[in-house]
Amino acid sequence: MSYKVVKRVAADIGGTFTDIAAVTEDGELLTWKLPSTPPNFADAVSTGIDALFRKHSIKLSEIDEVLHGCTVATNAILEQKGAKTALITTKGFRDVLEIQRVRVPKLYDPLYEKPSPLVPRNLRFEVDERLDANGRVIRKLDLHQLNEVIEKLKKEDIEAIAICFLHSFVNPTHEEMVETIIKKEFPECFVSISSQILPQKREYERTSTTVINSYVGPPVSRYLSALIQKLKSSNVTNRLTVMQSSGGVLDADSCLQKPAHIVECGPAAGVVGAEYIAKRSGFDNVITLDMGGTTAKASIIEGGTYTLADEYEVGGGMSSSSALVGKGGYALKLPVIDIAEVGAGGGSIAWLDGVGSLKIGPQSAGALPGPACYGLGGERPTVTDANLVLGYLNPKGLAAGTVLIDKTISEFAIKKEIAEPMRLGLLETAYGIYSVANAAMMRAVRAVTTYKGRDPRDFILFAFGGAGGLHAVELAKSLKIKKVLVPKAGGVFSALGLLYSNLEASETAPFLSLLAEVPLQAAEQLFLQMQKKITKTIGGDAEKITFKKFADLRFQGQAYELNIPFQNSFLNEEELTNLASSFEEKHLTRYGHAFSGEFPIELVNLRLVGVKSSSMPELNHATKVSKCKECGRKAYFGPDLGLVTSRVVSRNGLANNAIEGPLIIEDYEGTCIVPPDCKAKLDNMGNIIIEIPDN
Amino acid sequence: MPKFDPFLREVIKYAFDAIADNMALTLMRTSHSGIVRDSLDFSTALSDATGQTIAQGVCTPMHLGCFQDALKNVIKSFEDKIFQDDVFIFNDPFAAAGQHLPDIYITSPVFRNSRIVAWATALAHHSDVGGIVAGSNALGAHEIFQEGLRLPVVKFLEKGVPNKALWDVITLNVRTPEKVLGDLQAQIAACKSCEKELGDLFDRYGVETVLQYADHLQDYAEELTKSEIRKVPNGIYCFTDHIDGLGENPQPVVLNVKVIVEDETVVVDWEGTSKQVPGGINPSFPFTKSCAYAALRSILDADIPNCEGFSRPITVKAPLGSLLNPKFPAPCGARGITGYRMIDCLFGALSSAVPDNVTADTTGGSTLPTISGYLNGKAYVFCETFMGTWGGTSKHDGQEGVPHMGANQSNVSVEMIEQDYPIRIKQYGLVPDTGGAGQYRGGLALMREYESLHDSALLNVRSDKRDFPPHGLFDGKNGKPSINILNPDNKPRVLPVLMTEVEVLNRGDVFRHIMAGGGGYGDPLKRKPELVLKDVIEEKVTIAGAKKDYGVVIIKNAEEFMVDSSATKKLRTQLAV
Repeated sequence: MSYKVVKRVAADIGGTFTDIAAVTEDGELLTWKLPSTPPNFADAVSTGIDALFRKHSIKLSEIDEVLHGCTVATNAILEQKGAKTALITTKGFRDVLEIQRVRVPKLYDPLYEKPSPLVPRNLRFEVDERLDANGRVIRKLDLHQLNEVIEKLKKEDIEAIAICFLHSFVNPTHEEMVETIIKKEFPECFVSISSQILPQKREYERTSTTVINSYVGPPVSRYLSALIQKLKSSNVTNRLTVMQSSGGVLDADSCLQKPAHIVECGPAAGVVGAEYIAKRSGFDNVITLDMGGTTAKASIIEGGTYTLADEYEVGGGMSSSSALVGKGGYALKLPVIDIAEVGAGGGSIAWLDGVGSLKIGPQSAGALPGPACYGLGGERPTVTDANLVLGYLNPKGLAAGTVLIDKTISEFAIKKEIAEPMRLGLLETAYGIYSVANAAMMRAVRAVTTYKGRDPRDFILFAFGGAGGLHAVELAKSLKIKKVLVPKAGGVFSALGLLYSNLEASETAPFLSLLAEVPLQAAEQLFLQMQKKITKTIGGDAEKITFKKFADLRFQGQAYELNIPFQNSFLNEEELTNLASSFEEKHLTRYGHAFSGEFPIELVNLRLVGVKSSSMPELNHATKVSKCKECGRKAYFGPDLGLVTSRVVSRNGLANNAIEGPLIIEDYEGTCIVPPDCKAKLDNMGNIIIEIPDN
Repeated sequence: MPKFDPFLREVIKYAFDAIADNMALTLMRTSHSGIVRDSLDFSTALSDATGQTIAQGVCTPMHLGCFQDALKNVIKSFEDKIFQDDVFIFNDPFAAAGQHLPDIYITSPVFRNSRIVAWATALAHHSDVGGIVAGSNALGAHEIFQEGLRLPVVKFLEKGVPNKALWDVITLNVRTPEKVLGDLQAQIAACKSCEKELGDLFDRYGVETVLQYADHLQDYAEELTKSEIRKVPNGIYCFTDHIDGLGENPQPVVLNVKVIVEDETVVVDWEGTSKQVPGGINPSFPFTKSCAYAALRSILDADIPNCEGFSRPITVKAPLGSLLNPKFPAPCGARGITGYRMIDCLFGALSSAVPDNVTADTTGGSTLPTISGYLNGKAYVFCETFMGTWGGTSKHDGQEGVPHMGANQSNVSVEMIEQDYPIRIKQYGLVPDTGGAGQYRGGLALMREYESLHDSALLNVRSDKRDFPPHGLFDGKNGKPSINILNPDNKPRVLPVLMTEVEVLNRGDVFRHIMAGGGGYGDPLKRKPELVLKDVIEEKVTIAGAKKDYGVVIIKNAEEFMVDSSATKKLRTQLAV
């Protein structure tokens, strides 16, 4: 066996599985999948790394970095099992956290229940102090009151404290005073202050983000320390870097300063993986679609980079109706990759409403009992059952025969629950379930494209996750997308993303001014300060960090900003003109109009992002085309095309020249469907590329 | 009738909903006034060529079905004089089937092959349209002429060319022209987005197919609504509710409803309601209908499409000349309050039909404080929709920090207000012991204090539920009444619930508003003592309140609260007699 060299290894923990991935010096991807080990999630990481390395005879001592994505922060919030946290805020405003923004995520529902606040009312303490909107002190901080509060905190066994005063993003003095005193008086407590976590206007969003940071701080800290210990004792390097929701990684120590940054790291890593593969395959504009058992998640890569969300809420479940109402969770206003999620996946249940109209999800059969075809007691038909009846899935079993299934149970469930009440044929009904599921999944794609002024036709569809290849072409047809890409290793995409992520940190600072009147020197001064902070956070060699500048701009009078990248590296008169025209252009695309000349443009925040690229051997995904045993299977492609005998091939049975559909491409990771009017080929990265000529 | 593919109908329905929502997103993100961009007081709709609503954005429930009468009027008034790239504008409740003057409609036809195939409409509440008070919601108005600029249906743009004269008239007649014009442009942008997206849908499925499915969707919504109504027991359900009344010596305004559920139809009859009043709280009849639709939709389980078909099985009646169907020239500026009360009254009636689908009475819809003045010669108008809290239900306590069922609106950030206006917010929070006692407690009242930072600002307040606080259900107690106080800490003075005269605020004057608390659901003596204990720990109920309202004795030992079980048992037995 040849000797393989691996410098970085990635471990991504999901709810059910932990994925380990590494790339050798000559670009070979090595992966290992094993069940997660709750509550000691760190165990699966070291066991998995050990297993993978043993299989490929790699020495553990060679690794100099472990990259990691985990669900510990998200779970702490979802299960309300974070630290016992207290809030210190301005007198008169302790209920801001509980009142939130008042809007509810669902209309016409008198029985709606709000999620309970992460800090209960009796642990939200008020201190007399006040600033005005310009940051001027109009009431001094009452130190006597503060001491009383600290005494109470000690009695309550508080683990973490969040501090948020009104207007502190303009003048952080009071928050900093409180922080200093608490660190002295109560050093064992985890403290976050809003002027450092999110120095931006809007008290609810800032308070909520700061509270989340404190709430997840202690559990994240305990978890990462345990993992580092575990790796050390298993003779793996103790250099651990952790994925952030923004798509960049940071080393574990920096991460502990702002743990709220890792809340959405799992899905983010998947998008980073897609970005890497898309770039290597020559695609700059990509809609990523991750279709799993219960949800479909869409995101956008534009001009080669992924995009960040304007607003984000954690823990509220999925929005039932539209992108208009929030998710009803807790506001987290930090850089998060913009990912839209809908409750439609392979396990989603098909059902009939009061007048016999077909609906899909959001209820899911989950892993247990799973779709009816698993034969584990599920009696209600799911999307997977429809795919099986249509002939898309191999009736002998899923995942190369490792998961056994029974098509007759699927047929029975669809007939009984849907086809007979609707008085329709079995195939027709199964195809209906498939189409309605596609329409539901399309809402996720729309949320990141048309809802934001983007035309899906300018993108390719990049589909991964278990069900990606089954639905991608039909979705692409509805969105008039001409090309679909189904990557190799679609089942371990988050782990792959971790390997190809870069060290990244960002800083945002408020800087309110008319764009035309920006004091250039003061702005550059601010960038310099931010640069210092970022350099410290990223650590190591400062020269290797590249910085990108951004401005949050709006027309005067608007409440929401657009984030505009600088074209030059520093702010001068020319750059002001650049920013103005890029802003107007983006406003026009996003909203269909611009108030050019009618309203002055206003600068709200300056933002700096520092990135330090990691050196990774490029992935060599080339797949040898080999002749393999082929067979045929009848598959149903809707009323127009009907039941057609389709060639069943494996991924490496595809050629570099396009083959005409109908094709069913079966992979260990999933199945990919190519209808009769489309063609498929393999590119040099082992991706299946499907072309849809009539679109 | 062609045979319809039930699956394609579902697919096209998703697309229609997405178009209406996309319009709303465009409007929200590009608008200029706080009331649109932060409070989100607006709605959007996609309608067919005859003016029937096909889909409505997930916006303001009280606007459900408010587009159909207005659009049919536009089509009738202009008939063959409607051209591509025309944009119509109107607001008048009498001349244009509008809502009230601040709600300006912008609508534009969508053409395909030289014929009208659809309409895109965006409705937004504007920060000001002139009239005797800033914000144009004068409670003291006696006739609509005092309420501001009345716009019949006119072309705002003709074939894409702006009607400059009209733009100039609007600019001159409103106190906040930048905000009004900025919002109007955002509304136009929303309509444009609809035109584009609908075009894409036509390209994919063909114009005729899409239009046929739009018609078919109406029938589907009608059938679904009927099947849901069948789940509600047949019967006649009555309820009487009140608005406290106008000015210094308020006379109660009576709302009287009879809901007749018969198999698959519902009649909502407002016979017995007060006559129209000489104050700005008379809703136009289209609004009366919308509120009935919103309340009924809330007690039905299914996800019914927001199209005209939904309203077909529902008949709404109100005598002409009554509060809810007023005659010209009734003032309507502040009629939102009446809309909220109609919904509350309907929930009251429906509580005996579907007791598990409603809450005990809520805080009653938004309080609308307006503070205005001139700074350096320029007018400013601060206005926000302040909400809210709900009553208890058969399953849980009343929610706190929630909108009224009629309008899913947001609060405005304190930091935004203080940056944009000469106003300081001194307090914003929940008030202990204000939720109606019950097995499931009503939500606590919310309080907000506004301090004026300059002299001679004008205060105008629309509130309610002081004399008639939110009712409890099934032995639950009423919520605590609302109150308006000027300078609570220094020679306090109580201000009327619905002010017909503005109040002058000088520098340092403080206005405090406490909303009403939500009603309780079920007997408070049946509330679990540990829930009362939790309320005491969280300072939502005081120890005295626990004893008086719930018969639960709570003692404080060192820093720890606990229930005195035997004392509680004894007290509860006494109180039960």
